[in-house]
Amino acid sequence: MSGPATVYVVDDDAAVLKALTRLLQAAGHAVAAFPSPQAFLDSHDASTPGCLLLDVAMPEINGLELQEKLAADDTCRAIVFISGHGDVPKIVQAMKGGAVDFLTKPFNDVQLLEAVDIAIRKGYAARQANGELKQMEQRLTTLTAREREVFEHVVSGKLNKLIATDLGTGEKTVKVHRARVMHKMGAASLADLVRMAEKMGIRPGAPFPDP
Amino acid sequence: MNDNTKTAAAGIVASHDGRALHLILTGSLVAVGYYVGAKVGFALTFDPHPVSVLWPPNALLLAALLLIPVRSWWVPILAAFPAHLLIELQSGVPLAMVLGWFVSNCTEALIGAALLRHVLPGERLQFDSFRHACIFLLGAVLTAPLLSGFVDIGLVTAIGWGKAAFWDMFTLRFFSNALATLIIVPTVVSWAQGSWQSLREVSVGRQIEVGALFLGLLATGMLIFKQAPGSPAMPALLYAPLPFLLWAAVRLGPQGISAALVMVASLAIWGALHELGPFTGGSPAQDTRAVQWFLIAVAVPLLLFAAVMTERKKTRKALQISEERSLKVVRSSPDPIMIVRKSDLTIMDVNEKWEALFGYRRAEAVGRTTVELGIYANPEDRNTYFALSERGLVRDFATDLRDRQGGIHHTVLVGDTIEVAGTECLIKIIRDVTAQKLAEREALKQRVELVHLSRVAMLGELSGALAHELNQPLTAILSNAQAAQRLLARDRIEAQDLREILQDIVSEDKRAGEVIGRLRALFKKGDTQFQVLNANDLIREVLTLAHGNLTTRNIHVITALSAQGVDTRGDRVQLQQVLLNLVANACEAMDAPGSTRLLTMKTAPSENGQVQIFVIDGGAGIPAELMEKLFDPFVTTKTQGLGLGLSISRSIVTAHGGQLLVRNNPDRGATFRLLLPGIAGART
Repeated sequence: MSGPATVYVVDDDAAVLKALTRLLQAAGHAVAAFPSPQAFLDSHDASTPGCLLLDVAMPEINGLELQEKLAADDTCRAIVFISGHGDVPKIVQAMKGGAVDFLTKPFNDVQLLEAVDIAIRKGYAARQANGELKQMEQRLTTLTAREREVFEHVVSGKLNKLIATDLGTGEKTVKVHRARVMHKMGAASLADLVRMAEKMGIRPGAPFPDP
Repeated sequence: MNDNTKTAAAGIVASHDGRALHLILTGSLVAVGYYVGAKVGFALTFDPHPVSVLWPPNALLLAALLLIPVRSWWVPILAAFPAHLLIELQSGVPLAMVLGWFVSNCTEALIGAALLRHVLPGERLQFDSFRHACIFLLGAVLTAPLLSGFVDIGLVTAIGWGKAAFWDMFTLRFFSNALATLIIVPTVVSWAQGSWQSLREVSVGRQIEVGALFLGLLATGMLIFKQAPGSPAMPALLYAPLPFLLWAAVRLGPQGISAALVMVASLAIWGALHELGPFTGGSPAQDTRAVQWFLIAVAVPLLLFAAVMTERKKTRKALQISEERSLKVVRSSPDPIMIVRKSDLTIMDVNEKWEALFGYRRAEAVGRTTVELGIYANPEDRNTYFALSERGLVRDFATDLRDRQGGIHHTVLVGDTIEVAGTECLIKIIRDVTAQKLAEREALKQRVELVHLSRVAMLGELSGALAHELNQPLTAILSNAQAAQRLLARDRIEAQDLREILQDIVSEDKRAGEVIGRLRALFKKGDTQFQVLNANDLIREVLTLAHGNLTTRNIHVITALSAQGVDTRGDRVQLQQVLLNLVANACEAMDAPGSTRLLTMKTAPSENGQVQIFVIDGGAGIPAELMEKLFDPFVTTKTQGLGLGLSISRSIVTAHGGQLLVRNNPDRGATFRLLLPGIAGART
């Protein structure tokens, strides 16, 4: 899952592409350079960690379109945009789409490398977050229907007694279910379980029973 | 007799309406004239000689036929018949002979009239023309009496009336009729055709002259022809009327000489009949012949002389009128005109406008040459002009002329060779185009200014995209340099890598320099410089400049460039401006929803050797209501922009001798077609 990060660079201007590659390599990055978005898409491995340094204005597929495409494919890749001239609507669109930064050419090496570093970190973080979530979701599937019900009630902050009343069962039974949920989800505490529920988007049940 | 014929002729000519009335009038006049003429003829007969000295009826009949159209010829002949009967039957001639003579009389008149009509088809017999006079003498005076003479003598012999010898009869009759024709026909015809209106406007001096002439002629005639016979001075005295006759011929023309001849003939015949004057003393036949020969000898040369004189006078008059008219045109011309003698190139005449233009008065200019006046700013032009004028009409000869104050005028000369008062001259019409030239220059300056301004404005609009073009190499340079710095800092760089980096920096710097150079050329306000240009190169340059604009708008470009026949002559910057403008418009057009975002640039030679450049977009096309005024200034679809781009583009293309056309594509978008003059033998 982790490992050395690769900086993917996509720019239709050969000279710029070459120079950026050089600079990033000099700064110690592993670089994969592509002259067009299509070339990138053709050989891109989403599982490789790293970030994307992407030119905005390119023929056929432009940078923003590539961003949309990656998002649609659920490819999580932190993007730093570079552009010959920064017009506000494009910057806004890029940032809304989750870009890490938007650099206007020509830019300083420090600026670039900082942005690349942040992007790589974010990439890792995202990748990590993505991994945890997948684990939680996997665990969630191991719960029985009753356990799932108990889970939803527990994370809403209800006491066992109340949950038992709501579910029409005994308090003891609820306790057993609750212990099993905690175990199956690998939660160390109630707070841990609530955090998991939030991450997975499980909505807590009503804090008070329905009349 | 004379008065009668005059009136008859006047009636014939004057009456145009009422053909019947006209014919009746003609008929009656001929009848009366014929009758009176015959009476006169009888009176002019030496008794017992049967033939008259001068027999007017035939001549009168001929004159009448000459004055009326052929289809009416039957009228005088029909009218003459009763007159003929009336007069001849009084003289106790047998009816057969009377009818025979009528036939021979009519034959003569008809032969004469028909001959003249035949030789002069569609023309009126004019005694002020030498040619006409000769034809008249040969046809009417010689041939007609000769031919009809045979008819007459034949009839006389057949009927057995005449007692004289055949040839005597023939010659007597011939001379009698010829003389009558010679004297009477010119009188009748010239007076009938002469203008009667002008007679009333004759000046007093002229009236006195005419009066003196005829009194003089009458007096000398009386002196000679009423003299008692046998005077030794007689032969010499015969020449006495000659000065008056010449006077009449020279001054009064055919009308005058014919009238004078009538007078002389009358006097001579009258004298001879009364045994007075020079033609007496012989037998009646001899006297008759003497009078006839004398009159023929006088009348023939004088008639011809009068014709020549009048003809020449008329020609001279026409020439004079034409020269005067030309002179008037020259004087009143709105353009300066000068007339120069060809032999020595001195100025013969100039008009007021010329005086005004050059500041010399006419009196100062005439007699001097243009060189003396220093008129040609470039004296070589004068020689060139004269060399051209040798070949005839000179048109649109552009030269600079200098006025008295030294001011230079840009002029265009038009000239030709003319004859003025017998001298060969060159006429030069000068058109001062200085103001026009200045205005043209000013307009050109303004156009250049406008073209430049619009170019700068367009570049302003494109500045973002143009900055992009510059930012690319700058980014490459900076990144390369900083990469090198980093590598050097860690001492990890190989010399070879450093060389490569520096090489890239140099080439990117050049690239940036080129972009700036191209921009500077576009921003510069330079003079129009025509050079040989390749349309494909133009397109490549423009696409480089527009690259930023195209990529930021995500527009894909397709080029289809012809390898041949697309060389033209033009100003690189201005044509780039036109294409850049078309590309920028195409880009904006393709912002419309549903556009293909595809720009096609095409070059191709046209069938007639022009260079065509197509700029085809995939936008919404041009709205129909805008199509017609698309190239008008201040017409725009943009919220920003003056709407000058296309108007100026078209003016640039027009100044290049080309055309800028537009039409909507059948599917979507519009095609702009730029036509430029091709260069023969374009590169292959």
